[in-house]
Amino acid sequence: MLQIDELTHVYANGVKALDNVTLAIPKGMFGLLGPNGAGKSSLMRCIATLQAPSEGQIHFDDIDVVKTPETLRRILGYLPQDFGVYPRISAYDMLDHMAILKGLSEPRARKAEVERLLEQTNLYSVRKKALAGFSGGMRQRFGIAQALLGDPRLIIVDEPTAGLDPEERNRFLNLLSEIGENVVVILSTHIVEDVTDLCPAMAILAGGRIVKTGAPTALVRELDGKIWIKTVDKADLAELSKTHQVISTRLLGGRTLAHSLRHRPRRRLYAPSRRPGGRLFLHAPRLASRGLARCSPRSSALSCAIS
Amino acid sequence: MFAKIVGFELRYQLKNPVFWVGVILFFLLTFGLTTSDQISIGSNANVHVNSPFAMAQAELAFSLFFMFVSTAFVANVVVRDDETGYGPIIRATQVRKFDYLFGRFIGAFIAVAVAFLAVPLATFVGTLMPWVDPDKLGAFRLGDYFYTYCVIALPGLFLTSAGFFALATATRSMMGTYVGLVAILVTYTIVTTLASKPEYMTAMAYLDPMGFGAVDLVTRYWTVAEKNTLLMPVLGPILWNRALWFTAACILLAVAYVSFQFETRGKKARKKDALAAGAPAPDPRPTVFARAVPRFDAAAARAQLQARTRLDMAQVFKSPAFFVLLFLGLFNAGGGMWFTDGGYGVDIYPVSRRMIDVLRGAFAFIPVIVAIYYAGELVWRERDRGTEEIIDAAPVPDWVFVAPKILAIALVFVALLLVSIVAAVLVQLIKGYSNLELGKYLWWYLTPLTVSLTLFAALAVFVQSLVPHKFLGWGVMVIYIVAQIIAVSYGFEHGLYRFGGGGLIGPIAPLSDMNGQGREGEAGWWFRAYWAAIALVLAVLTYALWRRGKETRLTPRLRRLPRRLIGPAGVILALGVVATAGLGGFIFLNTNVWNVYHTDKDDDRWAADYEKALLRYQTLPQPKITDVTLNVALYPDYPRAVVSGVYVIQNKTNAPIRELHVRFDHYLKVVGLSVEGAWAKQTFERFNYRIFAFDTPMAPGEKRRLSFQTVLSQKGFTNSRNMTHIVHNGTFVNDMEITPLLGMDQTMLLTDRSKRRKYGLKPAELRMPKLEDDSARQFNLMRKDSDWVNSDITVSTAADQTPMAPGYKTSDVTAGGRRTARFVTDAPINHFFSIQSARYAIRHELYKGVDLSVLYHPGHPWNVDRMLAALRAGLDYDQANFSPYQFHQARILEFPAFQGSFAQSFANTIPYSEDIGFIYDSRDASKIDMVTYVTAHELGHQWWAHQVIGARMQGVTMLDETLAQYSALMAMEKLYGRDQIRKFLKYELDSYLRSRGGEAIEEEPLDRVEDQAYIHYRKGSLVMYRLKDVIGEDKVNAALRALLRQYAFKGAPYPKSTDLVTLFRQEAGPDPIKQQLITDLFEKITLYDLRTTRAVSKKRADGRYDVTLTVSAKKHYADGKGRETDAAMNEPVDIGLFAQEPGKKNFTAKDVILLQRMPIKSGVSTFTFTTDRAPSFAGVDPYNTMIDRNSDENLTRVGG
Repeated sequence: MLQIDELTHVYANGVKALDNVTLAIPKGMFGLLGPNGAGKSSLMRCIATLQAPSEGQIHFDDIDVVKTPETLRRILGYLPQDFGVYPRISAYDMLDHMAILKGLSEPRARKAEVERLLEQTNLYSVRKKALAGFSGGMRQRFGIAQALLGDPRLIIVDEPTAGLDPEERNRFLNLLSEIGENVVVILSTHIVEDVTDLCPAMAILAGGRIVKTGAPTALVRELDGKIWIKTVDKADLAELSKTHQVISTRLLGGRTLAHSLRHRPRRRLYAPSRRPGGRLFLHAPRLASRGLARCSPRSSALSCAIS
Repeated sequence: MFAKIVGFELRYQLKNPVFWVGVILFFLLTFGLTTSDQISIGSNANVHVNSPFAMAQAELAFSLFFMFVSTAFVANVVVRDDETGYGPIIRATQVRKFDYLFGRFIGAFIAVAVAFLAVPLATFVGTLMPWVDPDKLGAFRLGDYFYTYCVIALPGLFLTSAGFFALATATRSMMGTYVGLVAILVTYTIVTTLASKPEYMTAMAYLDPMGFGAVDLVTRYWTVAEKNTLLMPVLGPILWNRALWFTAACILLAVAYVSFQFETRGKKARKKDALAAGAPAPDPRPTVFARAVPRFDAAAARAQLQARTRLDMAQVFKSPAFFVLLFLGLFNAGGGMWFTDGGYGVDIYPVSRRMIDVLRGAFAFIPVIVAIYYAGELVWRERDRGTEEIIDAAPVPDWVFVAPKILAIALVFVALLLVSIVAAVLVQLIKGYSNLELGKYLWWYLTPLTVSLTLFAALAVFVQSLVPHKFLGWGVMVIYIVAQIIAVSYGFEHGLYRFGGGGLIGPIAPLSDMNGQGREGEAGWWFRAYWAAIALVLAVLTYALWRRGKETRLTPRLRRLPRRLIGPAGVILALGVVATAGLGGFIFLNTNVWNVYHTDKDDDRWAADYEKALLRYQTLPQPKITDVTLNVALYPDYPRAVVSGVYVIQNKTNAPIRELHVRFDHYLKVVGLSVEGAWAKQTFERFNYRIFAFDTPMAPGEKRRLSFQTVLSQKGFTNSRNMTHIVHNGTFVNDMEITPLLGMDQTMLLTDRSKRRKYGLKPAELRMPKLEDDSARQFNLMRKDSDWVNSDITVSTAADQTPMAPGYKTSDVTAGGRRTARFVTDAPINHFFSIQSARYAIRHELYKGVDLSVLYHPGHPWNVDRMLAALRAGLDYDQANFSPYQFHQARILEFPAFQGSFAQSFANTIPYSEDIGFIYDSRDASKIDMVTYVTAHELGHQWWAHQVIGARMQGVTMLDETLAQYSALMAMEKLYGRDQIRKFLKYELDSYLRSRGGEAIEEEPLDRVEDQAYIHYRKGSLVMYRLKDVIGEDKVNAALRALLRQYAFKGAPYPKSTDLVTLFRQEAGPDPIKQQLITDLFEKITLYDLRTTRAVSKKRADGRYDVTLTVSAKKHYADGKGRETDAAMNEPVDIGLFAQEPGKKNFTAKDVILLQRMPIKSGVSTFTFTTDRAPSFAGVDPYNTMIDRNSDENLTRVGG
């Protein structure tokens, strides 16, 4: 299992992306939930050996990830949040190239493995097409194919469903669910459903800190009965905000659907986002869509999109 | 809309890497051209680098090469949308075809024009560089830059842009356009080269689309002053040329417009697509094998290394910029290889050595650019493409990322160089030359260059791993290249700190079929080994600093550097450091301990100090040498010459001599030196100069002995300038390099004007004594310290070589692994000896009592018979017309190309460079036979230098070089007839007229020539031939016989040019026209302007023809600076009527209908002749015997 101890990472521009993160991640699918800018990718990169943390320890079984990243890479499968591809290269060739890099040096076995993964990710029929021309979903599936190369024991997938249509997203999650239970899979996402659908365990990361860990269902249950919903005119929203803690709104049939906490929580669930005008809101699971709202930097609370 | 499209296109093109590659490349080329003497276009030694003329030349040449870049821009406009598949989207918008096509074209063309600004910009930046000789710079005039850019460069760029835009619309393919580009360029080059004869000059001024012809026509005979100040007049050929081709460009654009299909592509493509779609996808499901298990052993690492290398190479090979560079290099080198012209339109066998020479000079800069550019592209690729996270998280050791960058570039080099070799071999085969000597390509070119370039690539990759952005890395490399160029001019020459050990492409060994790469080749490998060790260190550091993952800043990477060096990396680094130290120490031992390390700058300073310290002794009376005994032991493989010798010296002055000044070559080691009855009074150690005082002064007429022992040697190798006169095979030492000179004179001094000024030497020019200075007649051209001497030279060498020196060979013994030969003279000869030794093949022939022999490299047998024939012809003519040959042996010896491209005449011995004569291809009988010409010229020197030698003063070379030209011309005329001579003289005329434009100081009349080659050779031929034509061959020869009678083998006073002119005057008789002609030919700079303005023939009643010619004639005298004054002309000139045009291939003697000498006066005159046949051509001075700047206007077609 993966053990993260007191991990802190500060970027060159002074931004503290991770702040004393301690986390134990057991075998199986593990969800890491958090809005954009929460430090998910920083944490993923630290685990994936792509950046050395400023402080702290990461151990995977008996591998000290910070000191011997090269050992971890041998058992690592990593799908970054965003990745490019080489120009003028086909899916097969690129996957084959990755397979070599992953240590599959025996050509026949490598060919079989590459074809198996292409098959598994449903890319076999387009294997000769240039990667650069792939759609977002195809590209993500290719990403998971390369992450699965060489039977990794630690798999990190960073925001894999962002930008996928529902069909592609389903397909992708099915793919993930097929991964064996004996490996550690960290799924980082800002979409609650990704986590609740797949992960028996999760952690919530915000502002560089772990704010909550547990089973998704349990965490959702904590909010049971705490969220109220009311449909108001847009003009009345300001009034409502004075009396209630409105955590999210959306439009429904031209009127505004406002969610609010019934009680002021004992402690703030989330640190305010650093982005101006943005605040994070958790939705009642039974109401409307279950998701973590995300505010774009320019949007006001009123126009927050709900995923 | 239009403007928006233009703007978008321009912005798009400015982001294109090709734009930046083009800008960098052409900036560097121009910068090098401006600031370095090593890069040049044409030979414009005295023309300011920022003069309108020089800038026009540069911009013409670069605009030709720029096609490769501009095509990338304009073809991209057409091809891009099809390649990206974006075409249909664009075409579905409202944009009109006109806006779409021309908006983009204009945008791309602006990008071309902006990129080409790199050329004038680099010229300007170059002129600001402090190391540029101020003599090479004119005042800054913005207008000149503007004019050349707008009038010379832009129209050509527009034409080529439009042309290749049209081609791209037709082919719809980048590759197709480039193939077309190469085809057009090759055609263009062939056509312009074939048309580069004086008679096509006017036509080419209009027809040459790039404008070379127009500029050349306008400026060909400009003087230096004109080139430095004048702008080419727009009115006239340049304007017409520009107008013509601008129209052509517009037509091409119209063609592009019409041929561009705005709608989706035609049926062919669709059919193919349908086929692909219709066929059932053969989609065999993968067979399931046992699951692959990752392995991390050596085999896996090897596989990873291979995969990365393949990927990196593929990136280079698939990129358009690579092909742009490759084609550019091939084109540049292809021209050099194809047109291996030996001058005078002569063919040269494309021997591999010359091919390699061309490739090293004209192609090898391409891999340098590839290294710089692709080091940036490859090192930054993962980051540029956004693949770094998945790639860097893979279980791959860092060195597997680093090594392939260097390895892939190295393999790309191999591919590039192999392509260039294939091109060279193709040239050889097409020219019908099949002795390919592929081993030479491998060992002289491919291997050393690949290694040197790979070291350079390691540097470029290292730089890219340090800097925060690839543009910065490129910038650093560009600065590095500039620094390389500068360093040498500041005296930083040592290979220990110049990366790679030499220039950009590493140490360049001088090549010779006789001597291979010689010692420089061996030294080069030591430097390569040393720099390979450093490159290894750099590679380890690159590895240790490698950006992996998200950390790209330098400081954290530096901080973790020590930790990353623990383990094998550190061991390799240590090995690299140790090897660097060891090899560096060994190199230092060779270059600085065993040998003297000296730079060009050191040598210049030495020469300047030498002059300041010692030139004051030059007027001191000194004895002269009468007898020379020399014993030279050559050790070709060491290399060493151990010399001992004795001079007999005699006081030939009228006063006692108290001191003897003895000097030796700068680096010659003097082991022993003694002068009979004298003691060493003063020694200038630094100058190798000694003053002896006689115990009792040498009385007039008294003789004494001087004996000396010297050693000329090199141990190991030197930094540069490895000994090239004593080599493994092909030693050629001049005696002045190994023996003492007596008294001070002007040899060994700085002659370059700017250097003289820089070191404060006065006068600014070392000039010969004036023709009126009769005191100069005491000394001959060869040596100040000798008249004619008796010589006795013994040369010993390795047993398998043939030793040779002037004189009769009296013994030749091989014993104890050494071969020793002795050469003595039976009568005094010039004190001017060559010592040679090589493994020769020898061809002998006894001809009229003279033993003729050619000693040649066994691989160069082609022209040996021709040389023997030329010797026979020369002997026949010279003996019959001048005097008997003074020896009974005459020999030609080949020497390696790197010692020079010349032939030289010593007493009965003619060293002849491997680079000329021996490799001329004389099979085409219609071409000038240069082998015979050179051989006859050198044989002529046996009379004109070795029987009669002039006093060292103005006009002296008229007495040897001009007369040797005459001997050669006459021998040639006897062999081939007048027509060959006419062809030859046409080249001589053009060469003379062009070269006088390059004169820096002062053009002299022939009788005052100061060792000016264009006067004593080129004008000399024209003068002597015209003189012979007008006063008669017998009269000329009679005068020459008289010269020999008076001066042959006589000591001081020596003859001067006017002595010969006087003899000509005597022979010519009192005819004032002939006397005036002699004045004009020898004592003045005379230029004619003859033209036939009209020629008409009319059939008469009796069937014959009346032909009327209108001729205009002018004569000018020019002064030394080129200022002309009109002169009255009144002299006989040939007038000819012909059935065919003279000088053309099918012209024969039968085509001469009439050739008559008529007196012609200044102004317009009309002549009428009656002939039996109707002439097609008519003209005045039809064979161009006169010095006329418009020699192609002499003839005209006859009208009815």
